[in-house]
Amino acid sequence: METRPLGETGHDSTVMTFGAIALNWLEQEGANQMVEAVLDAGVNHFDVAPTYGDAELKLGPKLRQHREEIFLGCKTGERDYEGARHRLERSLNRLGVDTIDLYQVHGLETQDELDRITSDGGALDAFREARDAGTVEHLGLTSHGDPDLILDAIDRIDDLETVMFPLNPVVVAKDDTEHDYEAVLERANEENIGTLIIKAFARAPWPDTDELPEEDRPYANWYHPVDRPDEIRERFEFAASQDVTSVINPGDPKLVSMVLDAAERFEGMDEAAQRSVVEGARHEDSPVPQQLHH
Amino acid sequence: MDVPETVRTALDDRPVEGAVCLEAGAGVGNTTAGLLEGGASRVYAVTNDTEHASAVRERVVLGEQARTEASDRVATVEADLRATPLPDESVDVVTAHGLFNVVPTAILPEIAAELTRVAAPGAHLVVDDYDPLPDDAAMGDLFAVENAAAELAGEGPALTFYPARMLRRLFEGYGWAFDRERTLLDPVPWTENHVAAHAEVARESAEPLQKGLRESLIARADKIAAETGTESAGRMYSLAFRFGGDGKGEPTGNRQ
Repeated sequence: METRPLGETGHDSTVMTFGAIALNWLEQEGANQMVEAVLDAGVNHFDVAPTYGDAELKLGPKLRQHREEIFLGCKTGERDYEGARHRLERSLNRLGVDTIDLYQVHGLETQDELDRITSDGGALDAFREARDAGTVEHLGLTSHGDPDLILDAIDRIDDLETVMFPLNPVVVAKDDTEHDYEAVLERANEENIGTLIIKAFARAPWPDTDELPEEDRPYANWYHPVDRPDEIRERFEFAASQDVTSVINPGDPKLVSMVLDAAERFEGMDEAAQRSVVEGARHEDSPVPQQLHH
Repeated sequence: MDVPETVRTALDDRPVEGAVCLEAGAGVGNTTAGLLEGGASRVYAVTNDTEHASAVRERVVLGEQARTEASDRVATVEADLRATPLPDESVDVVTAHGLFNVVPTAILPEIAAELTRVAAPGAHLVVDDYDPLPDDAAMGDLFAVENAAAELAGEGPALTFYPARMLRRLFEGYGWAFDRERTLLDPVPWTENHVAAHAEVARESAEPLQKGLRESLIARADKIAAETGTESAGRMYSLAFRFGGDGKGEPTGNRQ
């Protein structure tokens, strides 16, 4: 599988990152099999978080068996020093490893949170302390929030080495700043920060729960993912053809093998075909069938 | 205003900044929005379709996304493209994005002549359209039904996909020097909305026909639409030209 430099970390990540949240919905035996399948496909970058049910525990056995083959990303949603320090200890214990290669601020959503993590006694103090102690190698941040907030975080965290954010044809088709994750990608590349892409396979929000109760949703994702092999392939080709480091699978385990297949067959999408995908997504929000042209 | 990538790609190597522009066949205002975004000093959005004229006004002049600063730079002109009210040699950039596929062949020369009349010396022309669909494309069958219904109803063909080289030769014949060709979309994504909209056009065209013919064409359109769903097929291209005047429009490389 193709690899690309992950910013300045010195690690070359595969063009697909395994989002280990998928293990949460599997029994241990199935989880072991999935990790083996992911490694067989050549994936060398895994990502997990303590909030993904018991994904850390289920990843543990195979992670320990193959520790040298896996660049491990983990995260914490804690914003203060004490919370982050405890959460890191807990993740190391649950995963059963001594080090985490990439430790990330999880799900940054507000300016206030950014203020807290960057202040004295903030979460980043715990990250840096762990880096000095050798339990963490690199620092990253994840967000599906406002692109401006992510840009601000890049400005304010000097030692940020990776950023994880959404990118897909639906957001690329929208021009407003609220959806301008392309600006994040551009800035990250200027700063040589590694870029990890989430929501590459999002089709649309789920219908209202009145129309489709949560327990009747066919996938574990909190959005409706694309789910046909040709669509998955197209979305992967599109995302990985942007100037990004790596693309993460959607969380539902039923979709993982299709994403692995797309990643193994990745060949790159030319610009006319990328525009075709964006154009196809441009009218998805528009139910009025009056658009005859492109 | 969301500007489609197709429009941006067609315009991004053209000197739109500060230019007086004419969008020929304004549709829902996609290219008008692109020209305004590119810094056009003035955009004449010309269309002979009253609904399109109000759609453009709604989008770029009155609508939620309109910005006062931009709406001051646009004029929606409801006119036949064979006879616009614009003076001779008054436009710097002429665009026809997805226009010619709805123009019957017999009218092409008159529109080309009119766009040439309003072009200032050194003007730019951008013509974006679709190559004919491959033979095995289901959308081609739907367009055939659309055309059959329109022809039988006496409206002339609804759609004609001209190959890039044909529109290139047409405008070269009016004194435009070919500058470049780009591929905007390959393949062209015909979404559920496109399929439904074209099936609807076929149904509307078939409406005045006699019962047997009407029902058979409508059934055919509905069947193709239902079986097709979505399809990615064909190519959308962008041609750019310069118009005489300052010599920059002269073809390079083939003259000593």
